[in-house]
Amino acid sequence: MLDFSEMMLQERQLLSSESSELAGKLRVIAGEQGVSASPVDRLATCRDYWPMGSLWFLEGKAPALPDLVVWPADTAQVAAVLALAGEHGVPVTPYGEGSGALGGAIPLRGGIVLDLKRMNQVRELDGENLMVTVECGLNGALYEEHLNRRGFTGGHIPQSIRCSTVGGWLACRAAGQFSSRYGKIEDMVVALEAVLPDGTVFSGRRVPRTATGPRLDHLFIGSEGALGVITAATLRIWPCPEERSLLSFAFAGLEEGLEAARLIIRAGARPAVVRLYDYAETGHHFPEVKEAGGRCMLILLIEGDRRLAAAETQMAREAALAHGGVDTGCGPVEHWLERRFNISLASKLFRQGAVVDTIEVSSTWTGAAPLYRAMQEAMLAVEGTALASGHYSHVYPEGAALYMTLCGFPPGEKADYYKRIWSAAMETCLSLGGAISHHHGIGLHRGLWMEQEHGGAGLEALRRVKQALDPGAIMNPGKLGLEEALEWRK
Amino acid sequence: MAEVNRKRLLECALCPNMCRCECPVAQAAGREAVAPSGKARLAHLLLEGRLPWSEAALEALSACLGCRGCTLLCPFPELALDDELLAARRNAAAAGICLPAAAPFDHNLKKYGSPYGSRGGPAAAKYGDGEVLYFTGCTAAANHPAAAGAALALFEQAGVSYQTIDEYCCGYPAETWGGETLARQLAAENRARIAKSGARRLVTGCPECRYTFTRRYTEWGAALPLPVVDSAGFFLELVREGRLKPRALEGAGPVTYHDPCLAARLEEKWEEPRILLGFIPGLSLAEAACAKRSTRCCGGGRMLQLTFPALSEAIAKRRLAEFPAGAAVVTACPFCRENLAAGGGAVLDLAELLARACL
Ligand SMILES: Cc1cc2nc3c(=O)[nH]c(=O)nc-3n(C[C@H](O)[C@H](O)[C@H](O)COP(=O)(O)OP(=O)(O)OC[C@H]3O[C@@H](n4cnc5c(N)ncnc54)[C@H](O)[C@@H]3O)c2cc1C
Ligand code: SF4
Ligand code: SF4
Repeated sequence: MLDFSEMMLQERQLLSSESSELAGKLRVIAGEQGVSASPVDRLATCRDYWPMGSLWFLEGKAPALPDLVVWPADTAQVAAVLALAGEHGVPVTPYGEGSGALGGAIPLRGGIVLDLKRMNQVRELDGENLMVTVECGLNGALYEEHLNRRGFTGGHIPQSIRCSTVGGWLACRAAGQFSSRYGKIEDMVVALEAVLPDGTVFSGRRVPRTATGPRLDHLFIGSEGALGVITAATLRIWPCPEERSLLSFAFAGLEEGLEAARLIIRAGARPAVVRLYDYAETGHHFPEVKEAGGRCMLILLIEGDRRLAAAETQMAREAALAHGGVDTGCGPVEHWLERRFNISLASKLFRQGAVVDTIEVSSTWTGAAPLYRAMQEAMLAVEGTALASGHYSHVYPEGAALYMTLCGFPPGEKADYYKRIWSAAMETCLSLGGAISHHHGIGLHRGLWMEQEHGGAGLEALRRVKQALDPGAIMNPGKLGLEEALEWRK
Repeated sequence: MAEVNRKRLLECALCPNMCRCECPVAQAAGREAVAPSGKARLAHLLLEGRLPWSEAALEALSACLGCRGCTLLCPFPELALDDELLAARRNAAAAGICLPAAAPFDHNLKKYGSPYGSRGGPAAAKYGDGEVLYFTGCTAAANHPAAAGAALALFEQAGVSYQTIDEYCCGYPAETWGGETLARQLAAENRARIAKSGARRLVTGCPECRYTFTRRYTEWGAALPLPVVDSAGFFLELVREGRLKPRALEGAGPVTYHDPCLAARLEEKWEEPRILLGFIPGLSLAEAACAKRSTRCCGGGRMLQLTFPALSEAIAKRRLAEFPAGAAVVTACPFCRENLAAGGGAVLDLAELLARACL
C-alpha cells in the first residue's frame, strides 16, 4: 500500500518482523489503543507543515514514514517507551500537532513517532503565583481558552495557536504575536518536566529564579525533540488585561518606522504587538487605508493595567508622530486582529503550483533595515521568484525579528528552487550578522546552515551535549543540524 | 448527492489544520489521521488513486461528527469538510469497502427501517388526521421514548390537533454509512406516509431528522409537501399563545442549555429554546462555556455513538466538563441527550423539562 520509493527522505525502516515484535512490547506499555502500525496512521505522521511536505504531497509523495505511531497517556509511558526504544536502537520522533515549518517532526529513519496529544491535561493553575502547569500535548488555543475562562492569559498567541501544542512551542523556541510584551516562550518558562532518552524523568523546580547551576530543564527549550521529550511545563501567566489600545501609523519608509519602534521600546514601553510592514505587505494587508498607500504601516497593540496602558499609548503615539508617522487610527489593527489567522492564500497558491514559504530571522536595530533589503534582493534574484516581501514582527530593546514571505513559480524542479531561494536568504542573513531563525526553529531543513550559525566549535559543543544525553542517537535523528540528513543536502 | 468538490478538498488538505482546536474528534482522539486536514489529505490520496480503499482508511474518514465545529474557524467560506468526507466515503461503498462497526446497524436499517432494530413509535402514538404531524425519529424512539411521550402530552395539554405515523428512519444513518440507495428508499417511505397524512406541519425534536428532511429530501427526490418545524420553536409558539402555562419547578436548581450542533450552526436556532426556558418562572439559566453558535458537539453526530463508542464517550466527557458546575443539562436532541447521559451527565430533554413545568 505504501510505496517506500515514494518516500523522499526515508533513510531506514524496520523489518516487518522487528516492527511487530516492537509493537507487541509497546502495547504492553501504552495499551492496545496506544499503538498503531496502520498505514493510515503512519502516513498521517509522515510530515509536518514544512512546504516541501505540501509540494511532495501534491505529487503523491511523502517525506518519510514511521514504522509505528505511539500515543503515550502519561510521563511514565513516555519514559517506558524511550527506554524500550533505546534497548532496540529504534529512533523516536516526538510529534505535537505537526505545524512545524522546517520538517522537524519528519521521522527520517522510521521507527516510532511519539504522538504526544493524549497528554493534554492542565495539572495545576496557580493564580496567586501566576503559574500554570500543563502537559505537553495540549493544543495551544485550548490552553489559552482554559486560562481565559479563569481570568488569565498565557500571553503566547502564535499564528499557529489553533494547530500547535505547548510542547511544540517549547521544543521550537516559538514566539507569539504578542511577544513584544509577554516574551517568547523561553521567557515564560518557570520549569519543565522532561524525559531523557534512557527513560530518566526529571523536573525543574517551580520557583521564580535559581542560582543552582545551569538549569538542565532549560536546555530542553529549543531542543526540537533531539535531546528527549518535554512532557510538561510550568509557564508564567498574566491576569487578563484590563485595557487594550490599538494604534497604527503609516511611515514614509521602513527606516522611519523602525526608528519609531526602536524608541518606543528603548523608552521602556512594551506594546504587546509591534508589526511594521514593507510597501508590498502594507498594500496587500491594508488596501482600504488610503493614507497608507505608498507607505509602511506600523501597527501597535498595547494592553495591560489601565494606567500603564495609557502611559504606553501616549509614549508610542509621540514617538510615531515625531518620526513622521501618519495616524491611521485603530482600524488597521482591528483588521489585523480579524484576519491574523487566515492563511487560506497559502493553500490556494500551493494548489496552483506555487512554492510558498516564510523565513524569519532576527537582527539588531542597526542591521534591521539593511538585512531586509539584502535578503529581499537576494531572494528576488533567484529565478522563478514572484514575490519576496517582509515585515518586522517582534521587537526587543536590542533589535527586531524580520519575517520574509516568498512565493515562486519555479521553471524546473521545485525542490531545487526551494533550496536555492533558501540558500540566498540564509547566506545573506549570515553575512550581515543576523540569526538564521527567530522562532520557527531549525528542524531538518535549516540544519543545513546550523554550522555557519554557531561556528564549528559551537555546533561541536552542542553535539557533545547530544552525545552525552543520547549516546544511542535515538532521539529525532537528522535534525537540528547535529547530523547530516542523507537525502536532504545543500 | 453532490460529488466531492476536489478543489475545496485539496485546499483543506494543504491547510495546517487551522481549525483542529474546534474539532471534537481531533481533540479527543489525538490522532493525526482524524484531524480535519488529516482526513482531507487521506481522502485526496484515495480519490487520486494513490492509495487503495481499505477499512482503516474508511474508518478514519468516518471519524467526523458532521458538527461543523471546523467551519467556525475555517477561512474557506464555501467548504463544509463533513460534506466532502461524506461524498468521499461513498466511493468506499462503490469499492466494496464498508465500515465494520456500522454493519449490524446497517443490517437493522435494511431489515427494519431503523438502525436500532424494530421501529417503535412513541407510546402515545395517535394515527389520524391531525394538523401537526409529530415525527419522533428512530434515535429518540429507541433510546428515550419518554421525551417523545412528554412532547405529545404537552400537545394534548395545549389541545394541538396532531397525529403520528408509522415512521421509518429519516435516512441520516444510511447517508452517513454511504448507503445512498437505502437512504432514498427510506425517504420515499416517509415521504409517502407524510404526504398521505394531510398534516400541515411536521414537528420533530430531532435535529438530525430536520437536517435530513430539509437538506436532503429534495435531492433524494422526496421533497416534503409541508414545513418542518423544530419542537422548541413550536412549544414556544404554544406558550406565547397561552396554550401552555409553565409553572415554577419546585426545588429546581440552575440549568444549562446544551445547543445541539446542527440546530445551532445549520438552523441557527439558539434563541427559541432559551426564550422558552425563560418562561418557566424562577428557572435560572447558566450558560456553558461554548454556547449557541460556538457550541461543541456531544460526540453523537453522524452516529458516532454507535460506530465509535469509546471516542464518542470521550467527546461527551469533554463537553460535560464545559458545563457550569451544579447545573442540570437540558438539550433538544435525542443524540445529545443520549450521549451526554452516557458520558455521565444528568441530562433532560427540553420537552421533559417543559412537561414538568406545564402538566
Ligand atoms: C500557519 C502557521 C503559523 C505559524 N506561526 C507561528 C508563530 O506565530 N510563531 C511561532 O513560533 N511558530 C509559528 N509556526 C510554526 C509552528 O507552529 C511552531 O513551530 C510550533 O511551535 C510547533 O508546534 P507543534 O505542536 O505543531 O510541533 P510539531 O510540528 O509537531 O513538532 C515540532 C518539533 O518539536 C518536536 N516536539 C514536539 N513536541 C515535543 C515535545 N513535547 N518534546 C520534545 N520535542 C517535541 C518535534 O519532534 C519537532 O521537531 C507556525 C506554523 C504554521 C503552520
Ligand atoms: S476545514 Fe478549513 S480550517 Fe479546517 S483544516 Fe480544512 S481548510 Fe483548514
Ligand atoms: S464536522 Fe466536526 S468532527 Fe467533522 S471535521 Fe469538522 S469539527 Fe471535526
